[in-house]
Parts: sequence; structure tokens; C-alpha cells
Amino acid sequence: MKERYFSTFQLILLALLAALIVVAKIALRLPLRIPGHSGVFWMGIIIVAAGLVPKPGATSVVGLTSGMIAAFLGMGNLGAINTLLSYTMVGVGADLALLLLRNPENLVVAALAGTFGHMSKFLVKWALGVLLGAPVGLVALGLAWTLVGYIIFGALGGLLGGLTLAALRRAGFFAYLAEKR
Amino acid sequence: MSQRARILVAIVMLVALLGAVLGIEALRRLMNPASPSGDVTLSPGDSPIYLDEQLVAGFGPADLDQLETVSFVDAEKGKLQQGWLLYDVLLLHMEADVLMPEWSIVVSSSTEGTSAQLTWAEVKNEANMVMLTLTNRGTLKLVSLLEVMDTRDEWVVDADKIEIFSP
Repeated sequence: MKERYFSTFQLILLALLAALIVVAKIALRLPLRIPGHSGVFWMGIIIVAAGLVPKPGATSVVGLTSGMIAAFLGMGNLGAINTLLSYTMVGVGADLALLLLRNPENLVVAALAGTFGHMSKFLVKWALGVLLGAPVGLVALGLAWTLVGYIIFGALGGLLGGLTLAALRRAGFFAYLAEKR
Repeated sequence: MSQRARILVAIVMLVALLGAVLGIEALRRLMNPASPSGDVTLSPGDSPIYLDEQLVAGFGPADLDQLETVSFVDAEKGKLQQGWLLYDVLLLHMEADVLMPEWSIVVSSSTEGTSAQLTWAEVKNEANMVMLTLTNRGTLKLVSLLEVMDTRDEWVVDADKIEIFSP
């Protein structure tokens, strides 16, 4: 019988992390008036997903799943398509970055993958604004400042994810996962 | 390829991506045709100000930098709301004596489909604290101490248009 790309256990793990992204987006709010600050939470989770299921496509699955959950919950202020695309692209962007950079447990790699993932979300919003005239331009702080926010918080989130992976490895979680696989 | 080389390639790609976005945006600003009303030019990111349906000005992030910030604690959740008085924003682009107390000021959000209608007298009264503040996403929202706007569902989140109507 042909082996499936993701095991059921891995898919459940990815789905849980996708749900965690949506919960983090709803429940964890930082009193920062800086665009992109929520990237600290969800890029951390994305990088953890990449470490726990080290296969290309894992973070895309998390992005797509969290995007579907968020779209069904009516999250985001620019419509369901925007929400679905931007959440999905967070995962796809991180996936593409990790195809090049590989090991998400390396903190520099984790920060860069987080930055790419978060930048992908920004690019979706910006591209939709340019192509469809969606009001991305209402970002009051200006595009460059918004970009900087996305990069910094994406990198911080990635770093947080890398540190979490290191902590999980020290705690023996990867040995536990190896048994489950 | 070594890990260091891969990281360098990723950084170069990131910088190229940044350059592409900022370059395209700069190009958009250059190519953006002037608005049809007189010499008013709206750049991407600017919010238009209309006077009796004629575009008279647009304000953007640079305008907000020129203004003093004010603040109040909202009654609903006791949170500090800090921003710029709508009065100051409007006076950046028009003379105070042009506007009469009974004129309507409508601030609206095209994404949320919400709006608030106030009079110039209400906007002008500093005690009402009719102001634009930043949302967590960095967009603008209209808040006030006025009774008609003292709860969150009455605020105009993602405000992106200001209209002034004479009677």
C-alpha cells in the first residue's frame, strides 16, 4: 500500500496548530498600534509546525487550514477571500523559505522563515490592494513602516518558534514524536 | 550550498522583495493621475476629504506627523485612546472660517460600511474629543466622547473618507 505523504497523526498535529493560530489571533492581543504585530504569535506557531512535521508542505497545510477556519469565523476586515489567501500564504511563504533554508531549529533560519511567511501575508494584502483597489492604502502609518512592522514581527515570531523547537527537543518531545510516527 | 550561503541568498531575496514592493509603490505614486478636482492629488494611502462632493484635499501619514496628539480614556472599557483631533486634521487643509457650525461632517469606512455624521460645531468643540486614532492594525478609527459615539459599535473603524456638507 502506498504510504501517505502526511500520516494521520501529523495531519492532526498540523490541524491543531492551525486552530491554535486562529485562537492566538482572537485571544492574544498586544496593545501595540503597529501593523503586523500579531505575527509574533502566528509565525512562532508556523515555525513550530515546520519543526514538528519536517516535510515540505507542512506549513502550507497549517496556513490553508487556519485560513479556512478564520474565513468561516468571519475574521479579517477585507472579506473571506482575503482572509483565506493571507493565512494560506503565511504557510506557503514559510514553506518556500524553508525549502531553501532547511532546518527551522537554526534560529537565523527560523527568523528568516518567519520573515518570509509574514511578508507573504503582507504581499497578499498589498497585491489585492493594487489589483482590486481594496483599501490597503488606508494603513495610516505608511507602506514602508508597515513593511518594517511585518518584517520585525515576522522575524521575532520565527525566533520564538525556533526557541520553542529547541525547548521541545530538550524536553524530549521529538523522541516522543518519533515513536508516534 | 552551505547553510551560510543559503541564508545569504534568502537575505538577498528578502531585500529584492522589499525593493520590488517599494519600487512598485513609488511608481504607482508617480503614475497616479491627479484627481479630477483642481490640483488636488491623492497618493495611495491618502484619505480623501470632500466638500459638497468635490474633492478638496487628501490627508496621509505625513499630515498626521505634523499634528499634536490628544487622548482620553473611553468610558466603555477604560482604555486610553490617543490620536489626532479631526478638527486639526481638517484645518490642515482648509480655513476654519470656511466651515459653519451647522455643517455636517461625515466620516466613513469603505471596508466596514459604517459612518458617523457630526456637525462642525461638535467637531470643533475640543471637549468632545472627536479624533482619529490608530487601530491595532495601523488603520484609522474615529472615536469621541460624544454620546452618539461613546461605545465601540458606534466608532468608525478603518475610516478612510471625510465628507463635509453645507446645508
